[in-house]
Amino acid sequence: MLRYFIRRLVLTIPVAIGILVISFMLTRLSGDPTDLLLPPDATDSAREAFRRNYGLDQPLLTQFGSFVVNAMRGDFGDSLRFHEPAMSLVMDRMGATLELAVAAMALAILIGIPTGVVAAYKRNTPVDISVRGISLLGQAMPSFYLGILSIIVFSVWLGWFPSSGRGTWWHLVLPAITLSFQLVALIARVTRSCMLDVLGQDYIRTARAKGLGESRVVWLHALRNAFIPVLTVLGLQVGFLLGGVVVIETVFSWPGVGRLAVQAIYARDFPVVQAVVLLFAMIFVFVNLIVDLLYAAIDPRIRYS
Amino acid sequence: MIGSMLSRTATAALLSTMALGAGAAYAETVNIAQNFDPQTLWPNGTTASDNLNAGSAIVESLFWQNPASGEIEPLLATVVEMVSDTEALLTLREGVSFTNGEPMNADAVVHSIEIFMDEEQTPAYARVSDLFESVEKVDDLTVRITLSDTFPAFMLALSQISVVPPSHWNEVGLEAYGQQPIGTGPFVFESWTRDDRLVMSANADYWGDAPDGITELVWRPVPEDAARLAGLQTGEFQIVKDLPVSSIPTLENDDSVSLITVPSYRIYQIGLASQEQHESPLQDVAVRQALNYAVDSQLIIDALFFGRAIPLNGQVLREPQPGYNPDLGDYGYDPERARAMLAEAGYPDGFEIDFKCPSGRYAQDREVCEAVAGMLAEVGVTANLIMLEPGEFLRQLRTMELAPMYFVGLAPQDDPGFQASQYLSEWRYSPIANEEMDELILAGATEADPESRAQIYRDLMALMHEQAPIIFLYGGVDIYGTDARITGLEPRGDGRMFFYNVELEE
Repeated sequence: MLRYFIRRLVLTIPVAIGILVISFMLTRLSGDPTDLLLPPDATDSAREAFRRNYGLDQPLLTQFGSFVVNAMRGDFGDSLRFHEPAMSLVMDRMGATLELAVAAMALAILIGIPTGVVAAYKRNTPVDISVRGISLLGQAMPSFYLGILSIIVFSVWLGWFPSSGRGTWWHLVLPAITLSFQLVALIARVTRSCMLDVLGQDYIRTARAKGLGESRVVWLHALRNAFIPVLTVLGLQVGFLLGGVVVIETVFSWPGVGRLAVQAIYARDFPVVQAVVLLFAMIFVFVNLIVDLLYAAIDPRIRYS
Repeated sequence: MIGSMLSRTATAALLSTMALGAGAAYAETVNIAQNFDPQTLWPNGTTASDNLNAGSAIVESLFWQNPASGEIEPLLATVVEMVSDTEALLTLREGVSFTNGEPMNADAVVHSIEIFMDEEQTPAYARVSDLFESVEKVDDLTVRITLSDTFPAFMLALSQISVVPPSHWNEVGLEAYGQQPIGTGPFVFESWTRDDRLVMSANADYWGDAPDGITELVWRPVPEDAARLAGLQTGEFQIVKDLPVSSIPTLENDDSVSLITVPSYRIYQIGLASQEQHESPLQDVAVRQALNYAVDSQLIIDALFFGRAIPLNGQVLREPQPGYNPDLGDYGYDPERARAMLAEAGYPDGFEIDFKCPSGRYAQDREVCEAVAGMLAEVGVTANLIMLEPGEFLRQLRTMELAPMYFVGLAPQDDPGFQASQYLSEWRYSPIANEEMDELILAGATEADPESRAQIYRDLMALMHEQAPIIFLYGGVDIYGTDARITGLEPRGDGRMFFYNVELEE
């Protein structure tokens, strides 16, 4: 198990290098930050001075060489807009993003799983049909649209929640619900179909036959067996969440990494884009490693060597 | 430092309580929603209005261009005396200190102008500081500036020089200064949570008339248009910048908010590149004129901007600017004439042409381009619309890969010289190479006499109207919303907001 864990950890190194190379190349292909950070009618000599200051006048290979050397030391360069170390800008905003992502994930688990279980248990009843309908709607509706709609309804019309920003728990409600909406729908659907499969198994009949209470059969015996695919989906959906915060943080003016990333992309703030991409990729890799380890904890038949 | 800040805050609170007791202004926090969080609060760090608005509430300039009068008025300097065409004596305001106690004097101003002249530190201002040759202290309140040539936009340049405290600047450096500036302005820096809120409190020792009733400014970056509008409607924000055009009907019917529409300095146009290297039918002046007749700019103004955008009257200078030519008018929508002119120029069946357009850079950009393409189709010109992401659009503007035909909104500094120089043959994104135009543009750039200069630009506008290097579309409109209790806020056409005459009523 430990050897497996270490092997997986070592494998993240080539992944990180690959990410760095790809993000470096893609950002450079996308244009010149000088065009966005200076006025269009800036003089040629001012443009040259700007490019010299940020090393943009160097050949691409030289830029890449110094980028790799510095990145290995943990230095991702300074933001072209804020003139601060890119990684520290990203880490400063990580707390806000984690708060939002964890809240959304918690909602997805706390609402999605029980809803899926109930829908499966009450298969083809009005409860099941409405859960399926709402899930379909939830997965189909784009989150930016849902976000704006919820601001209009719950902030402007009803006045229940603030329309934007971060601060109190009230500020968290609308963005967290909006971010989790698609995820809740997906988890409910996956849980439902896995539960349907498990509820038809012989061991469930056996559990009932030996006189176990229905709730014990469903929530302990069935759900535990149905949980592995749900866990896989949850792990993969961390990627969806990290992508989702980019949209939700912009709609709700949430001061997190996603919004920083959007603005950095628009302004061709290369160092910040690279730092965000690497960090998000590493989070995704580690979460999925943890999910793999959790499989073994949930299902004793799974062993890593 | 924190102690002195606390005592200032306490004094401000005390003063505002006294003011309340006297039945005067109502003291309150004003929340301002802009699109972006500032990158730096040092106004000479960038030219982006969201940065400048916040920064110049703390750090003041030598002069300011008052949007209410349109004039350049004294701020930290009181008088400019032109000793010759290239030498100016600047008299500074007496008795002004920075909030850290440093005096605002000739040393501070010389230091600040030297920074302004250094394009390594202020690349975004190099175009206006280009002709500054040297600066020296004459006495404690007098500074001499020497220019390398006659500079008609000198006053405009002076209105952009922010004055910083030299000792503090030298101690902390440019970057740190921008994060926590010290100035002479009506507000003092309090705190800044990036991408969330920037808090400033009223400067109790302000040398001028402080904004009435405002004890605190909180700047909030809200990138989503709909969220800025929502925050205004819920009362979370008292001033909101850059509202979408579609919010106009909503705000017109809401008594609790005021709608402010400001004619923008941005001139929207379709570039019709006609230089030798850009081969296309647009090289024929008759074709360029025909396209002007083919586009109904008034319909675009009415349908896409609720009538609030500004007709250009066939020129790129705005009515209040010197050099605006009152004898010119719009080409007018005349598709019959356009078709006839195209036929006469050898295109009876029209032609096909690439038409590049940014998506998401300007208000309604995609819609305007689609409308223009539709109107051109009416006269037989098939415009292949190519939409570009804003960053890529700007890159192609610089290299003129946008040619032969493109939609652009240009907002140079508020001087006819800067507007005109964008059509100089050698300028990197000029759509035209015309010697006669060049002569006028260069003459205007160094003409010291205001009336002669205005005449040069009037002639240039007439020539440009006839040469039609662009389709003259419309002048932009900036939309602001405020709490109805806010009075005196007059934003400028370059997106700048000042608090000098702002009042928050009870």
